Amino acid sequence: MAETAGAAGTVAALQAALAAEHAAIFGYGVAGAHLTRSGQAAAEQDWTGHNKARDTLAAMISARGAVPTAAQASYQLPFRVHDAPSAIRLAAYLEDGVTRAYLGLVAVSDQRLRRFGAMAMQDAAQRAASWRGSTQAFPGLTSPGSLAP
Amino acid sequence: MLLASAAALPLLLGTAGCRSSDAFTGPDPLAGRPPLGHDVLTLQAVIAAEENMIDLYRMAISGDSRPSQARTLRALLAQHQQHLVRLKARLIVPPGTSASPTGGPGRQAGAGASTAPVRVTTSRLRAAERASAADLVRRLATVPPALAQLLASIAASDATHVTVLGG
Repeated sequence: MAETAGAAGTVAALQAALAAEHAAIFGYGVAGAHLTRSGQAAAEQDWTGHNKARDTLAAMISARGAVPTAAQASYQLPFRVHDAPSAIRLAAYLEDGVTRAYLGLVAVSDQRLRRFGAMAMQDAAQRAASWRGSTQAFPGLTSPGSLAP
Repeated sequence: MLLASAAALPLLLGTAGCRSSDAFTGPDPLAGRPPLGHDVLTLQAVIAAEENMIDLYRMAISGDSRPSQARTLRALLAQHQQHLVRLKARLIVPPGTSASPTGGPGRQAGAGASTAPVRVTTSRLRAAERASAADLVRRLATVPPALAQLLASIAASDATHVTVLGG
């Protein structure tokens, strides 16, 4: 019984991380259109990373007998993105959302998944810091959620 | 009267078919302090490591004359101080017990042991941040979920510091 609940919690945490990756992939598409050339290169690299993470998470969810959550057709942006500075803020916001989503994985009982979530948090926090130009004391714990559909 | 009552207690318990140990369900006052739990020991070790990191940053800042570098290091130091406050807030230890087991290994690093100033380079800070992030992730497996999330968040913060320090 507890094992079933634990497995369900694990799948839910994986689905939340996948949803955040979907949102980040959408968001980088918006941000990339407003960034300068160097910013676009960085955004494309991060976008590629999020696509890989999405595929990894989808495979992990499928391996547990569940159906990976699908991407939404569109997502609400937290603010208007119309130039390079607002695109950079969006990129940092997206990474904060991804960091927070992986924090959920750190709370599951599977020790390997905890580590996986923690390492993904570090990657996302580093990308967020790179976009923002500053670091945070508690990445994920104080971040807003990812983009809403 | 009180003495008489106390002296009569074993007799009364014996009459009732009880041993004196059955009458008192609390901790045995003669057994000494109970051992600290694993979570407490983990928190103490992490707090000690955080104090060590803060000492390293202080030494690095005092030995660096470049204003921009000192400003960067002070910003990172402030975040480590926030880590320490948050970690200590989670730690509830019995009265008379220290929050950190050794009183701060930063003092082990040489501060106070010698009058010569200890030079802490950026590469040493970077290595310390990297080691801290790895150590915190290693500890995730054996702590409760809420503490695991705090440690993972601090590890992520440390990882961003590595990047700021040129890693």
